[in-house]
Amino acid sequence: MKKDVISMHDLTLEDVQCYLKTAEKVEQIPLEERFRLLSGKIMASLFFEASTRTRLSFEAAMYRLGGNVIGFAEQGATSVSKGESFSDTIHTVESYSDVIVIRHPREGTARHAAQISFLPVINAGDGTNQHPTQTLLDLYTIKKNFNKIEGLRIAFVGDLKYSRTVHSLLQALMKFKVNEFMLVSPESLRLPEYLKKVNMGFPVTFVETKKLEDAIPYADIIYMTRIQRERFPDDIEYEKVKDSFCLNAQMLKAAPEGLKVLHPLPRVNEIAPDVDSTPHAEYFTQAKNGLIMRQAILLNIFEVAI
Amino acid sequence: MSDKKIQMIPKIRSGIVIDHIPAGDGVRILEILERDPRMKNIPVTFGMNYQSNKLGAKDMIKIQKDDLCERTIQHISLVSPGVTIKRIRDFEVVEKVSVQPPHDMINLLKCLNPGCITQNEPGLKSKFILTDPVQNQVTCVYCERVFSIHELSPII
Repeated sequence: MKKDVISMHDLTLEDVQCYLKTAEKVEQIPLEERFRLLSGKIMASLFFEASTRTRLSFEAAMYRLGGNVIGFAEQGATSVSKGESFSDTIHTVESYSDVIVIRHPREGTARHAAQISFLPVINAGDGTNQHPTQTLLDLYTIKKNFNKIEGLRIAFVGDLKYSRTVHSLLQALMKFKVNEFMLVSPESLRLPEYLKKVNMGFPVTFVETKKLEDAIPYADIIYMTRIQRERFPDDIEYEKVKDSFCLNAQMLKAAPEGLKVLHPLPRVNEIAPDVDSTPHAEYFTQAKNGLIMRQAILLNIFEVAI
Repeated sequence: MSDKKIQMIPKIRSGIVIDHIPAGDGVRILEILERDPRMKNIPVTFGMNYQSNKLGAKDMIKIQKDDLCERTIQHISLVSPGVTIKRIRDFEVVEKVSVQPPHDMINLLKCLNPGCITQNEPGLKSKFILTDPVQNQVTCVYCERVFSIHELSPII
């Protein structure tokens, strides 16, 4: 049976732990040895929506495992712009490749692709819904820093309404029995209620605040997010909230020594550049971990033993 | 004539009776029946707000047609879970079932999320899973949003 990576809902705790372990092993393999692992395989990289890190790290991950990449970085460069249906695009691409990585602005598109294709499909982000590979790399970053996940205190900051990385990570952390979260957002970008209603078999507490300062003494991890202009139906609504939170080095002086700041990137002005040189900044390492985790995912899909 | 006989709508020789409909839901079930092309020219009798020991007040529908299709029954179970469907032959009840929402709902409900792929890809059937039978909540298999069944429009 083919392996798809579509949603954190589909992955058990054991599946997630397996990905984390594989990533650890990948990191131990010298670069020149990694080159032989997926030689002859082709990855179709179908990005119907703009991306820098996710697309480049997937493509670099495949190249550095010895595989090749075909695909596109925007919908305008494809036959979709000529009116080709989504399913026709998938059926065409599957003749040329061994695995499909897809990002699309509509929620559920990766699930649909996985259902109609005989190839394994990896969801690289579907609208505001899921971004499971980002979640896996976030978990890997957390595990590397704290050597555990359960019991950590995590504050999510910014756009908690539209941010799929927040939605996916929150659900994954609950699998690790993390049961208390701080949510820092403007009123209009609060975490949707349906995400709080999940029945995990244990109580989950959400502490909601509008002040970023509340998170600094509270958290082991502050997970910052960008206010995403492209998700707003109305520019005026975006302007009202775009500068709601800005974390700077001065604010972090009150932080516990071990506090780590994560961000899925790109950032705009929610993290000041002076944070980059503090020991709390972990977001560039997080981006680097993306390549490792995506290699782990590809190796897992092709069942390559390492 | 007894009070009971005055109150009830006439018996039917054969057909389907939908009973134990919570008062008010009967109109929604009628809308479903009305949108089913197989119901054209079929006599239907509808009664509202009868006294009921179980529900306090109930609606009732009598249909002079031997069967309802599976899809119509599923739609009825979505708008009014727990109603009783009785099959009548020669004025006698020969079969009685209480209908509950199915676990998998394929192409029965329209996703409310405008960004969901099912709203944008021609020919793609919606699919919901009944994730909370107590609260009647369903999850869209595609966009993973959770809705109350009553929020969603039926696809007839």
